[in-house]
Amino acid sequence: MLSEVRFEGVHKIFGTETAVEDLNLRVNAGEFLVLVGPSGCGKTTTLRMLAGLERPSYGRILIGDKLVNNVSPRFRDVAMVFQSYALYPHMNVYDNLAFGMRARGAAGSVIAQRVKETAEVLGLAQLMKRRPSELSGGQRQRVALGRALIRQPQVFLMDEPLSNLDAGLRVQMRAELSRLHERFRVTTLYVTHDQVEAMTMGDRIAVMNSGRLQQVDAPETLYDNPANIFVAGFIGSPRMNFVRGSLTTTRGVAAVEFLGVTTPLSSRAKLTAEAADGAVTVGLRPEDLMWRRAAPPESTLTLSAEVDVVEPMGHEAYVTAVCAGETVTSRFPPRSGVRTRERIELALNPARLHLFDARSGNTILQRPVAGGAELPRSVGEARVDESEEGRSERQHEPHTRSAQSRAEEIS
Amino acid sequence: MSAVEARRAGAEKLIVVPYSRVSPAAVATNMILILLGSFFLLPMLWMVFASVDSNPDWAIKLPTPTLANFTDVLGRADAISSFRSSLILAGTTTVVTTVLAVLAAYPLSRMHIPFKRAFMLAILFASGLPVSMLIVPVYQMYVYFGWLDSLYTTALFLAASSLPFAIWLMKNFIDAVPAELEQAAAIDGASTARILRELVLPLTLPGIAVTAIYTFINAWGAFIIPFVLTYSPDNQPGPVEIYNFMGSHGLFKFGDLAVFSLLFSVPVIVLYLFMSRYFSGAFNFGGAVK
Amino acid sequence: MAVAAGLGPRLDRERFQWSSLAMLAPALALLGVLFIFPVLYSGYLGFTDLALVGSRSRDYQFTGLDNVTRMLSDYVFIKSSWLTIIFVVGSAIVGQTVLGMALAILLRNALVSVRAVIGSIVIVAWVLPEITVALVWYAFSQAGGTLSILLGHTDTNFLVAVPMLIVSLANLWRNVAFSMLVFSAGLRNLPTEVLEAAEVEGASAWRRYRMVILPLLKPTIVTNLLLVTILNLSEFTLIYAMTQGGPGIETMTLPLYVYQEAFVFHQLGYGTAISLVLVLIGALFSLLFVRASRSQV
Repeated sequence: MLSEVRFEGVHKIFGTETAVEDLNLRVNAGEFLVLVGPSGCGKTTTLRMLAGLERPSYGRILIGDKLVNNVSPRFRDVAMVFQSYALYPHMNVYDNLAFGMRARGAAGSVIAQRVKETAEVLGLAQLMKRRPSELSGGQRQRVALGRALIRQPQVFLMDEPLSNLDAGLRVQMRAELSRLHERFRVTTLYVTHDQVEAMTMGDRIAVMNSGRLQQVDAPETLYDNPANIFVAGFIGSPRMNFVRGSLTTTRGVAAVEFLGVTTPLSSRAKLTAEAADGAVTVGLRPEDLMWRRAAPPESTLTLSAEVDVVEPMGHEAYVTAVCAGETVTSRFPPRSGVRTRERIELALNPARLHLFDARSGNTILQRPVAGGAELPRSVGEARVDESEEGRSERQHEPHTRSAQSRAEEIS
Repeated sequence: MSAVEARRAGAEKLIVVPYSRVSPAAVATNMILILLGSFFLLPMLWMVFASVDSNPDWAIKLPTPTLANFTDVLGRADAISSFRSSLILAGTTTVVTTVLAVLAAYPLSRMHIPFKRAFMLAILFASGLPVSMLIVPVYQMYVYFGWLDSLYTTALFLAASSLPFAIWLMKNFIDAVPAELEQAAAIDGASTARILRELVLPLTLPGIAVTAIYTFINAWGAFIIPFVLTYSPDNQPGPVEIYNFMGSHGLFKFGDLAVFSLLFSVPVIVLYLFMSRYFSGAFNFGGAVK
Repeated sequence: MAVAAGLGPRLDRERFQWSSLAMLAPALALLGVLFIFPVLYSGYLGFTDLALVGSRSRDYQFTGLDNVTRMLSDYVFIKSSWLTIIFVVGSAIVGQTVLGMALAILLRNALVSVRAVIGSIVIVAWVLPEITVALVWYAFSQAGGTLSILLGHTDTNFLVAVPMLIVSLANLWRNVAFSMLVFSAGLRNLPTEVLEAAEVEGASAWRRYRMVILPLLKPTIVTNLLLVTILNLSEFTLIYAMTQGGPGIETMTLPLYVYQEAFVFHQLGYGTAISLVLVLIGALFSLLFVRASRSQV
C-alpha cells in the first residue's frame, strides 16, 4: 500500500552541528516530492533519517501511521537509490536485483518473475549476467533503480541519483524517472541540489537551507511566489536580481522606488502584514527585465543602463548591465548586437516585481499566480504552504486507484 | 634573442632533441640493483645448489648433480613427521586466528563499541609485545594445566600471539568496504548475518586470504614457541628439527640440510606468490590509527 | 509539535549492540587467557624468585626489587642491553630503513625486468622461514663459505670474527623487504602532480628527492621506523639458531638472555624480569608511534 510520510519537529544534531532543525514536512501518499538545497543544507540527512540510516535527535518520523524512529532500515519497507548506486560489486545484475527479495524470503519463482518484469521495464534484460564493473554509468543507474523498484516499497528514497551521469543521459533519465513515477505512483522523496531536476520532476518542491525548511510548494508556485530571498535566489537561472528599494504608502496606495524609478504596486498583488514603509529588497527575474526594443507593451517601466558583459547562449543572451549603480542581469534575444559599455534601455513589467523585507528576507508581496499554474500536476490539491511550522495536517487526497491496486498486487 | 625570435628560429629549423633510451643515471640505477640483488641471491643460491650436489660444502659452487640428498631426506621418518607437525601447528593456528580475527574485526570496523579507540590501540600495542615476554608465564600455565607437548595447545598460543595483528589487518580490510553497500543491503531487508555472509565475506575475501596466509607463514616458521612448549621428537615442527640438524655439528650433512630447508621453504614461497597481488594494500600504514 | 527549547532527552544516543559482543567474545576469550593473563602474570613473576626446577619451582616468593638490583650489577645483562641497542639501531633503524628506501626508489626507476627479478628476490628472502635464513647465512659466513671466498680470507669464520656484524647483516637481509614494501606503498601514494610540478620546475633528481619526496614520505618513515624497531627488538630465532648468543656472549641480545636465564639456567623469575625491560623499551616506542601518527595529519 502507499503511505504518506511525516516529519514532526525533527532535529538532527551531529556533535555541535545542527544538520536539521525542527523539520515539519509531509510527503503525501503517491507524491513525488523533491528536496532541494545547496550542499550541506541537511537534505541528505533528512533522507537518511527516513531510511533509518540515521536516527533523529528529536522529533517523530512516521511512515503511514507508524512511528519509525526506532525501526531499523530492514523493517521500514523503504527502497533507496544511492548517489554512488551502491551496487553489490561481486554480484551480477540479476543477483543485484534479486538480493532484496531473497533477503525477505520470497519464493524463487516469484523472484525470477519479478526480476524479469523489472528488467524489462528498465531495458536491462540483455545485461543480467554482467557485473556492475562491466556496465556503463547509465546502466548502473538503471540497476540501482531496478533494485528499488522491484520491491514495490511504501516509499522510494533517491539521493542525487542522477548526479553521476553526463548531461545528455541525465535529461533522458529525468524523463524516465518521471514516467516510472507516473506508472507506479510510489511515494517518493527525491534529494537533489539541482534546481532543474527539482522543477522538472517534483509534484512539489521542498527547499532547505542550513538545516531549515524554507518553503514547500508546487514548482510554478515556488517560482512565482518564493517565500524569501533564499528561495527566490536558489530557484531560477540566471539568478534573480536583488536591488535596494524603498516602499512608500500614500493615501492607501503603495509604491516602490528602485533603480531610479518609482512605480505603484499592481492592484492584484497583496502586501503581507510584515510589509512596512522603508527599505525593501526588490527582486527582478532576468526574463522580466527585457530589452526595451524586444519588450511587450505590459513592460511599462523603462530603465537606462550601461552594458557590462554580454554572454551569448545561442537561443538567447544574458546581458549584465549597470543601472543606477546596481548590477543587474537581463535576458536578451540572440544577436541583439549590444556591446560592452553601450547605453541601453531596459523594460520591466511592474506586475512582475518581487518584494522582500530588507531585514528578514521574507517576501512581503503576495502575487497572483499566472495562468492557473498553481494546480499541481499529478497529485490533486497538494498545494499547501508548509513553510511555517504546524500547518501540515490539512490535506489528504486519495491517490489514483490504479496505482494503489497495482502496488497491492505485489506487497 | 627574444622569445619570439627564438620561436621563429625554431620554426625554421626543426630542433630535434636527442632522446636517448639509456641515460647514465638509468644504467647506474639498474647496475646498483643487480649488485644488491646478488647480495640477496647468493646465500639462497647456496641452498639450491647444495641440495642437488653430491659433494657440497660451505661455499657456493656448481653442483655435481644428484638427487640422493632428496631421497635421503624423504626417507627419514623424523623429517616426514616434522612436516606433519608443522602442518598441524600452522594449519590450526591459521584457522583459529582467521576465524576469530574476522569475527572481531567486523564489529570493530562497523558497530558502535564503547572505548573502541582505546581497544584498537591496545591491540596495536599487543602486536608489538615480544613473545619472549609471554613465553615464561605461558610455560608456567601449560605446566599447570598439563598442556605441554601438544601441537594443538601450542597452536592455541601461536594463535593468541598472532591474533592482535590479524584483527588489526582484518579491520583495515573491512574498513575499505564502502559502508553504503551494507546500508543498501540493510534497506533491502538483509539481516546482519546475511550482510556478513553475502556482502562482507565475499568482498573481503582477498583480505581474509592475506590475513590467513600471513598467519600461516608466521606459524610455519615459528621457532621459540614450539621449541619451549613441545619436547617429544614426534611433535617437533620443521624449524626445531632443522635447528636440531644444525646443532648436531659432527653429523653436519650439508646436502640433507639444504634439501630439508628448501622443501620447508617451498610452501611459504608458493603461498606468498598466491597472495602477493592482494598484499600491497596491507602496507599502507599511512593512517594506521584512526 | 516540538518547541526549540525543552526537547527532552536525545533520541539518537548510540545503543550498545549485544551482537557486537558476541562477535568479539571468542577473540577476547583467547586473548584473555593466553595473552592478557600471561602479560599480567609476568608482571608478577618478574618480581619473584621462581625457578624451573628444584624447591623454588613450587615454593617461590615475591622478592620485591631483588631482580632489579641484580640486573644493575649483572655484567651480562648490561652487555646484553648494549648488544640489543646496537642490533636494533644498526640492523633495523639504519640498515633496514636506508636500504629499504633505497631499494624502493631504485626499483621504481628501474627497467621492468630488473624490477620484477630483484624485487622478487628481496621478497623471497623475507618470506623464507627464519630458520632457513639462519642456515644459509651460517653457511655463507663460515670459513670456506661464500663470503670468505669473496673477501679472500678463506680461513676466516666470520661468524666468530665479527659475529654481531654477521647476525645484523643476516637480519637486514631477511627483513629489508618489509621496509621496501612499506616505502613502495608510500611512494605510490605520493601525489604525482607534486612530483611532476617539481620536475617541470627543473629540479634535479637529488633535489627532488631531498626537497619533495623525503618530506612527503615523513609519515611513512616514522611509521616504518617504529614498526621495524618493535619487530627487531624481540628478534630471537635468527640469532639463536646462528650463534646461540656466542661466541661467548658476543651476540647475546636481551631476548636470547631471557631464554638462557629462564630455560637454561632455570631462573624463570629473573628471566621474566629481563623480558619486562624489553617490554618497557617496546612500550616507549609504541607511545612514540601513537604520538607520531597523531601529529601526522
